[in-house]
Amino acid sequence: MKRYLIIGVVMATLLAACGDGTDTSTTAGATDTTAGATETTAGATETTAGSADTTVAAVGGMEELIAAAQAEGTLTTIALPHDWCGYGTVIEGFKTEYGLEVNELDPGAGSAEELEAIDANRDNPGPQAPDVIDVGLAFGPQAVEQGLIQPYQVATWDEIPDDAKDPDGYWYGDYYGVLSLEVNTSAVTAPPAEYADLLDPAYNGQIALSGDPLTSNAAILSVWAAGLATGATGVEAAQAGLDFFAELNAAGNFVPIDGDSRTVGIGETPILIDWSYNSIANDVNLAGNPDIETIVPEAGRIAGVYVQAISAFAPHPNAAKLWMEYLYSDAGQLGWASAFCHPIRFEAMSAAGTIPPEVAEQLPSTEGAFFPSIEEIEAASAVIVEGWPSVVGVTVEPSPSGG
Amino acid sequence: MGVLPFFLFSGMFLIAPAIILAYRSLEGPDGTLTLDNYRALTSDTVVAAYSMSVRISLTTAVLGGVIGFFLAWAVSMGGLPGPFRSGLTTFSGVASNFAGVPLAAAFIFTLGRVGVVTALFELIGVDLYGSGFTIYSYWGLSLIYLFFQIPLMVLVMLPALDGLKRDWREAAENLGATPGQYWRRVALPVLLPSILGTMILLFGNAFGAHATAYALTGGLLPLATLLIGQQISGDVLNNPGLGYAVAMGMVFIMALSIFLYSVLQRRSERWLG
Repeated sequence: MKRYLIIGVVMATLLAACGDGTDTSTTAGATDTTAGATETTAGATETTAGSADTTVAAVGGMEELIAAAQAEGTLTTIALPHDWCGYGTVIEGFKTEYGLEVNELDPGAGSAEELEAIDANRDNPGPQAPDVIDVGLAFGPQAVEQGLIQPYQVATWDEIPDDAKDPDGYWYGDYYGVLSLEVNTSAVTAPPAEYADLLDPAYNGQIALSGDPLTSNAAILSVWAAGLATGATGVEAAQAGLDFFAELNAAGNFVPIDGDSRTVGIGETPILIDWSYNSIANDVNLAGNPDIETIVPEAGRIAGVYVQAISAFAPHPNAAKLWMEYLYSDAGQLGWASAFCHPIRFEAMSAAGTIPPEVAEQLPSTEGAFFPSIEEIEAASAVIVEGWPSVVGVTVEPSPSGG
Repeated sequence: MGVLPFFLFSGMFLIAPAIILAYRSLEGPDGTLTLDNYRALTSDTVVAAYSMSVRISLTTAVLGGVIGFFLAWAVSMGGLPGPFRSGLTTFSGVASNFAGVPLAAAFIFTLGRVGVVTALFELIGVDLYGSGFTIYSYWGLSLIYLFFQIPLMVLVMLPALDGLKRDWREAAENLGATPGQYWRRVALPVLLPSILGTMILLFGNAFGAHATAYALTGGLLPLATLLIGQQISGDVLNNPGLGYAVAMGMVFIMALSIFLYSVLQRRSERWLG
């Protein structure tokens, strides 16, 4: 009887451990509610801060802005890894150009954490409060809703495509990449060119997504892209994507793991669907051991946009505005482009001939890429998240022959 | 006074979390009390996750139980020399606790697509992955779970096998029973509650496992434990209430298996206790 008791306690503790984890997230939920409550105050501050000077002209011209920023002395950024889209060189360039200090917070943070950092430092103008953020497209409107960002329109505002910016200037697209097939060519001698090729038996057990479609945005877009490649559009393409992955899974080509540059590099998942810039950067980092090829399919070419915004509670609002002016100047845009990210002004700059050919050459082709709107992404996500477990998840189980 | 640590421990780590869990599972996204989370348990996603969890737990409990039993039998009364027994128990003690991220990593490095063992098989002309095998699947995960399930069975069965009294065998033989008859009529009926009980223990062991499967697939195999994680920490799903309800469902299944275990345990104690 004693042994039963001990085992019972052990088992229950295992379960209780689950309960513990959930507990923490409740606390997070509670914080959220507080955020909602203070929202009104945030909105009020925003209008005061924002109404006066939402363009460089309103500040009094570039020289005024530079002087005001230099008086503030520092810019606080968050979630900018130096190997991501060339942020290392971009930040260095900004420092040299204007002589400001850059205080870099948590380079590894995700979009949601960036918003949380603003939220948590509403009343704290210290070094922990970010001035500027760089988040996934869907987080722009969310930040507006929570009253976390203030509007600003850079001098090159008109060259940012309309569907990649908020009409009121709260957030604005900064760079984008296209979903591509990241292929380890030392493991895959005949790489696929299109999503449809992935069904080839030659790719048995080789293809992975860069995340779980139930939790990762890039993975959801990958499923959608495969559906768009069949010629379907919108929500139907989301369903077509699910069907495609069900087929890929039934064929045994799909590996249900969370792939990344590492799994591609060692050959565990020699084909990964991921952002073009991650794929090219991986190739550069691995330096030929093994060779990584970045293949951008013609069909179902889909772009993913990140957006910049200034915190509604920025302790250094002028430094933040100057940072935006720098990022959207030719120099800033080329900084991203040199690290394989398409700057948002790519079309305009190409037309003006301000992108050096050697930089343009190494960017993957985004010709004809589909730039989904936030509403379209949300509609497709809903279908994919709903359908993934039953369409693909359940049948992740191949025939028992392997056991 | 002496039992105070026990009550403190169970209160903090068992009873309080269980009450919080039960309460939160009744909470909707806006904080009001609702049964919606329990209604959502019948959705395809949740049913699929439970089904996969239950099946994988059953598979590894039965396979682990049978293989573990024969291993334990081999070293306790199979006539193997003494060092085998101490070697096996030591290994089992280590392996039954070897789970989670290191276990998943160990299998990826050995039996993964580019694992060492996979490569060795290729050397002798066997293409494991070409023939449809993959560790990122139901049977792959089962194989990995067996790595800790079999040793656990060995550890629990050894004392039970040792509890079989030599007198019973001698008595049976004196009455003219063949070895087969002795096993069928005496040993197995005495051992059966222990065997089944331990298999239930193995079931619970696999059912609650989370880290191994997560480390192996990043959450792409639909298991109940992974579903809870997705509901609670994901950017996309994020319905903690449903997560709590799924956890309550798991508590129910676990409680049921503990109940069965205790019934069987009581029966086996009649002879082996």
